[in-house]
Amino acid sequence: MRAGPSQEDIRRHNLGALLRHVHLGGPISRAELTSRMGLNRSTIMALTSDLTAAGLVREELPRETGRAGRPSLVVRPESSRVYVFAFDVGPDRLVAARVGLGGVILDRRELPRRRGPFELPELVGALAGFARQMRRKTRPDTVCVGAAAAVAGGVRKGDGVITFGPNLMKPHQEVPFGEELGRRLGLGLPVSVGNDANLGALAEHSRGLGVSVKDLIYLHGDVGIGGGIIAGGHLLGGHDGYGGEVGHMVVNPGGRACGCGSHGCLEAEVGERALLEAAGRAKADQNGDAQQGKHGREAVRAVVDAADRGDIVAQEALKRVGDWLGLGVANLINIFNPEMVIFGGMLREIYLGSAARVRSQLTLHAMTPQRERLRLRTSALADDATLVGAAELAFAHVLADPLEVLARAGG
Amino acid sequence: MTPLLEVRGIDKSFGPVQVLHDVAFSANAGEVTALVGDNGAGKSTLVKCIGGIYPIDSGEILFDGKPVHVHGPRDAAALGIEIVYQDLALCDNLDIVQNMFLGRERRRGIMLDEAAMEEQAQETLTGLSVRTVKSIRQQVSSLSGGQRQTVAIAKAVLWNSKVVILDEPTAALGVAQTAQVLELVRRLADKGLAVVLISHNMNDVFAVSDRIAALYLGRMAAQVRTADVTHAQVVELITSGRSGDLGITQ
Repeated sequence: MRAGPSQEDIRRHNLGALLRHVHLGGPISRAELTSRMGLNRSTIMALTSDLTAAGLVREELPRETGRAGRPSLVVRPESSRVYVFAFDVGPDRLVAARVGLGGVILDRRELPRRRGPFELPELVGALAGFARQMRRKTRPDTVCVGAAAAVAGGVRKGDGVITFGPNLMKPHQEVPFGEELGRRLGLGLPVSVGNDANLGALAEHSRGLGVSVKDLIYLHGDVGIGGGIIAGGHLLGGHDGYGGEVGHMVVNPGGRACGCGSHGCLEAEVGERALLEAAGRAKADQNGDAQQGKHGREAVRAVVDAADRGDIVAQEALKRVGDWLGLGVANLINIFNPEMVIFGGMLREIYLGSAARVRSQLTLHAMTPQRERLRLRTSALADDATLVGAAELAFAHVLADPLEVLARAGG
Repeated sequence: MTPLLEVRGIDKSFGPVQVLHDVAFSANAGEVTALVGDNGAGKSTLVKCIGGIYPIDSGEILFDGKPVHVHGPRDAAALGIEIVYQDLALCDNLDIVQNMFLGRERRRGIMLDEAAMEEQAQETLTGLSVRTVKSIRQQVSSLSGGQRQTVAIAKAVLWNSKVVILDEPTAALGVAQTAQVLELVRRLADKGLAVVLISHNMNDVFAVSDRIAALYLGRMAAQVRTADVTHAQVVELITSGRSGDLGITQ
């Protein structure tokens, strides 16, 4: 039996907490840290010197403060030295980025992807190749402390195996993506994997519009619709890690067929295919390569643009999609009572282009107390939300135990 | 909560034509209030009365709960009320910084304090998370419609304004730029300003507004919370001045 946390546990926790402040809040003075963390000055000094010695932060004199007295040293993250690799695997694109401590995207590579099921070796090879290229350009004193990927599919908790992804892979497959990517990267680091919309929610919560919001729902539109739910400050993962799949909430029983095998899911009624088909723009898709660019974000934007210019078919399509989206969001609001709902990915365009319908549905179907103080917003991180979320996932280990992780990474 | 800006019983006539009849309207800090109405309903006239362009015939204007007299645009500006008109009133041959400080330039002795102005302009744009403008020393003539709108809005915010009134800021913009401007409008309110948005586009109104005030033939038909009404109700208020229990009772 243990009486309580040991002194070593407390120190580790405090080091992580201090690093988290610097990582998420940016440069901050020691005096400010003292008051934010509720620790005394000498403890803060000891913690910062440990982190400084490890090369995670550095201390500098601030610029002119204009106030009397000796200025407090400012603690800055070593963004250019300590970094992680973040990957984003979407239906239409692959992104790899080198992200420095403090959340600075230092370098990035992007590759458009053909729709359809991926081949694991090919996919992992491309991502690892990007990482190698970016790594070659770094200075010798830099250190990689983690890696993580956002994937447009269901990811099993614990082992990073993708178990479903109607827009990414064949049905009934289990793909050990995290393990394979870790092996190909050859950094001796495990690769964390998360659902893209869950990570988008995490990103908005840590760096976007939801910084001070404890209850938020992030809705991510790509080909399909994903969701991430932050309740009481924590991501709702569910028992196996598949929580938050709001795209497969049935809003229209017996409605359009969904990639998941069901009918009338939010994704089937609001997703890209639903919009393009309703707007009479989906046929071109079947001609294959010659029609590249006729789907994806550009196509969605084109529908909103046409509706804005008075195209009646496009307007009707947006109204239809807006009605279903509003109904779905009304359900979510009634169940989770979030403070904020954030529309990301292509849902940003769809929400802005059909807000009158979406909000009318909320007025009709969401309960009054829940919608009273609800705020509806579009993503502050835009197309990078999922990538930023992956970077945060990669940094999670470092923030939990800074010195240990750095020692293991050979920094 | 006391509205930051409130007008009561405003009447305004041009010669024999009465344009505003006993209009009441309010805008809260931290909120976007959409001002909607058909052409000729009196939206622009109301805004120009608030901005001190037109003198009001009767009625009162309250700022932060206290009655104030607005006799001209300078009075409005002194209170912290800025209006961004549809035509934006930017000078094409000047750069962004010069435009933002036009007529209110910073001086150091007899010289213009370019460095301070540049820094403050940059600070304002950064504070609004504006990433679309490459250089603030760019001439306005080289900017796109959305960027111009952004500069005009930033100019209004630069002066520690508390109320920003935007007249059709997304008219004539493409979809991508409309989205950016709408997000900027929302950010202004989230930073604590009272924002008044005049728009004909119901999607824009519903996308960012907290309240909707509908004018009908010079009368305020209703001022309602956006969360409590549907698109159809707002359209009814605009076109007939009534919708169910809402609207003008005769």
